[in-house]
Amino acid sequence: MIHLDKSKVDSLKKTLFQRSTGIGMVLILIILGLRANLFFAPANLMDVLKQGSILTMIALGLTAVLIGGGFDMGAGALVQLTANIAAGIILAGFNPMISLAVGLGIGLLVGVFNAFLVTMIGIPSFVATLGTMFVLQGMTTMFNGGQALTIKFQPGFSFLGQGRLGPVPVIFVIVIVICTLLHLFFKHTRTGLRMYATGENPAAAVLRGINTKKYLIISYCLSGAILGITGVLQCSYTYGASAVTSGMDFLIQALSAAYLGSTFSKTGELSVVGTVISGMFIAALSNALIINGISNQQIAGILGLILILSISLTVINKREIGQVTIF
Amino acid sequence: MNALTENRTESRKRVFRFVSTYGAIIGMISILILFQLIDNRFMRPSNLIGVLNSSSILIVMSIAMMVVMSVRGIDLSVAQVADASGVIAAMMIINKQPVWLAIAAAIGFGLLIGLVNGLLMSYLGIPAIIGTLGMMFVIRSVELTLTNGAQPQILFTLPPKLTSGFFKIGQGSIGPVPMLIVICFVIALIMYLVKDRSILGRHMDAVQGNVRTSFLSSVSIRKVFGAAFVISGLLASFAGIMLVSRSGNAVPRGVETYLTDCFVAVYIGTLVSKGRKFNLIGTVIGALFVGLLSNFFTLQSLGAASKNIFNGVFIITAVTLGTIRQKRKS
Repeated sequence: MIHLDKSKVDSLKKTLFQRSTGIGMVLILIILGLRANLFFAPANLMDVLKQGSILTMIALGLTAVLIGGGFDMGAGALVQLTANIAAGIILAGFNPMISLAVGLGIGLLVGVFNAFLVTMIGIPSFVATLGTMFVLQGMTTMFNGGQALTIKFQPGFSFLGQGRLGPVPVIFVIVIVICTLLHLFFKHTRTGLRMYATGENPAAAVLRGINTKKYLIISYCLSGAILGITGVLQCSYTYGASAVTSGMDFLIQALSAAYLGSTFSKTGELSVVGTVISGMFIAALSNALIINGISNQQIAGILGLILILSISLTVINKREIGQVTIF
Repeated sequence: MNALTENRTESRKRVFRFVSTYGAIIGMISILILFQLIDNRFMRPSNLIGVLNSSSILIVMSIAMMVVMSVRGIDLSVAQVADASGVIAAMMIINKQPVWLAIAAAIGFGLLIGLVNGLLMSYLGIPAIIGTLGMMFVIRSVELTLTNGAQPQILFTLPPKLTSGFFKIGQGSIGPVPMLIVICFVIALIMYLVKDRSILGRHMDAVQGNVRTSFLSSVSIRKVFGAAFVISGLLASFAGIMLVSRSGNAVPRGVETYLTDCFVAVYIGTLVSKGRKFNLIGTVIGALFVGLLSNFFTLQSLGAASKNIFNGVFIITAVTLGTIRQKRKS
């Protein structure tokens, strides 16, 4: 008779529970993939990586702000703005690589502006970025006159969005690089860890002697820079910029990825790695569902259910009231 | 100490206090007067009644958002619930159901979502922003599936026998006053009484102030927090019905743009209150202001670009001034 050591079983149960989100994700994808083998085809998997990259990058930018304890309603709008400006620069005949620098610059500017509003003036981050969002939306419409801007294939530039390094899409490589850098920054440098502290518990951070204002400013600037570049990459990926300026769809998808990523940690802590995994999972899920013949319409709902379920699992042991502290 | 005998510092303080409290309203009125000077069609009664009419929907939705925010929550699903309620009501009428049943179904849907939200956030403990985000996705999918991919549910081509009762809500009037304004007024009044005079309202104020203290004072935090979501779902369904009744058709996902306007309205509302708290009258004023703003830009044929920029600059400036004043006071 096999004698099962109780403590080993318990710790196995605990590990399973802690890793439940990850296990769940893998299981879902495997089940869906088995039902439609096309999902596992290498070409398809590479496509998934490409499709999920822009969303993941926006989510990364958003995660950077969320870790610092702020919020950014204007994330999607900023991406749309830099996408449009990049398209405009290319259409005007300038070297496409300039658009990267311009996108970065605009992103940083917006980040600084947001940081100024939130830290120097003291407006709640929700309202400040709401206002910024409106301004950015207006600027985008003014720039593109309500039209979609499409660009032709540009050898160096389009390589970023659509090219491949071997079998792997370049844009996915960019995501991995940025994710690695951010992970090292947040988890292995003093600045990054202090940013975590500022976000988790500002009061305690202040008592500990951390200059929360400085770290909030850094988080907004970092996020702005990432989002600015993402817009340019989006322009490369979709051969231009769409006429839709709201970017709300970007924002809520990025939020889902970020919060889904937070379920990987026992304490519901946000992390860049979690965000990347979740972002890719969302793309993979959409892809797998479509291949399985489930209509586009239901994808959002399934994502919502997964989000709610995952958060429930994280939260169910704590059972606090789900208040929001973003204001 | 009266105005005759006080010295300069005291009188400066008095003026400062006055400006602090009423500054936001003064600012908004100044902007409206400026609009009138630029375009004298703005303040014409017919125009104002039109604005009031169309803002009624935003007012109801903003009140819904405010109720949840006033207990330290957030409800990203209000616009989606309104959207779906309108679609449900429209679909039922198209399927030849009696008007009262269609309305009841829509309201029932709003209540159901409100209950689910309340259970998820309050009793399960899911952070409000994530939970309502997830619910928003779920409702969106339900809507799209029901309407077979966002097909607008058109009511105004149906025979009047089916729709006339329904259209009375959005297009009828009591005497000279449009029905929408009456409904909106009644809802606002009831919600004001709930928030200001009822026990639930007091408990909500308590939770807004200090959760721990309310808990120790035996306020049932879970019930209050959950109730806020139920109210929000209910009000959102009202807004959806009002919108569909007014426009004669239900375009799925058409209400989603109202979400950001709701936030604007609620936050402008906080500027009106002394402690920068969420309050009903302020929210109504805020929603009206958003409506008037939109109206002015339409009158002047200025596109969405200028409107958005103005919106953004206004919010930032208004909240900045409000926050600075608050800080200087303390």
